[in-house]
Amino acid sequence: MLTCKQYVARSSDYLDGQLTFRQRLQMRHHVLFCPNCRRFTRQMRLMGAALKTLPEPPPVDLEMTVKRMMREQSGGQ
Amino acid sequence: MAADDTELLKRLLAGEQQAFRELVSTYQGAMRAVAYAIVGNRHADEAVQDAWLAVVRNLVSFESRSSLKTWLLTITANAAKNRYKQNRREVLLDDLPSPHGTIDDDRFSSDGHWLLAPLAWHQDTPEALLTEHELRECLEQTLLSLPQLQSSVLVLRDRQGLELEEICNLLQISLSNARVLVHRARLKVFATVEHFEETGEC
Repeated sequence: MLTCKQYVARSSDYLDGQLTFRQRLQMRHHVLFCPNCRRFTRQMRLMGAALKTLPEPPPVDLEMTVKRMMREQSGGQ
Repeated sequence: MAADDTELLKRLLAGEQQAFRELVSTYQGAMRAVAYAIVGNRHADEAVQDAWLAVVRNLVSFESRSSLKTWLLTITANAAKNRYKQNRREVLLDDLPSPHGTIDDDRFSSDGHWLLAPLAWHQDTPEALLTEHELRECLEQTLLSLPQLQSSVLVLRDRQGLELEEICNLLQISLSNARVLVHRARLKVFATVEHFEETGEC
């Protein structure tokens, strides 16, 4: 059986679908008996979702960029 | 190509200013992460500007074989590579300590069990977690504190939702390196959130 340390070391590969079938079974088997690693995985997923939700600051140079792009477009036509 | 992209493309070709605003607002974050990975902080903004001009010049020839996002990020990677041929290969996997550490060997006993188990966070949805303004700022700061490639790979994977394979193609790194980078970055961000949940401070 995997140790918690091995479990954590493979956790990103698990979440990213990079493990083999056999390795995935080992991971699932481990969390079945390990509440700490279960919590770890749940919070890793939560963290990933939070990064996805994190609002992006608007580009500071937005207007300047848009102006340059429009100038480029009209110059090229 | 998504229907939204088709519509946006039409408006861009018609030279509609609002369409350009939407394009830049939507995609500049992801483009900057790609540029940052390739040329670093000092030149990332210039590379993104180069990329935007290249985008305008090539709009007419955009073919919807790829998504608009993939196309924009490929142009960004090329713009960054063309302008600055900087050699970063040797430092690829260099690591730096993070302000709140990471989940490292110290957290485990010699037999591989948790010594200090992960702390239970107070919130269980991303929205609830992010209601704290300080945590949002703290996450942004942590992303900036990561080594260049770790930061970019994490941003592109988790924030921008790109597949690992796509990130490897854009940044020309191997899949095994991308996996190492994203894992190291996640453990550091995890430690940051844990610290915040424990202390209420960044």
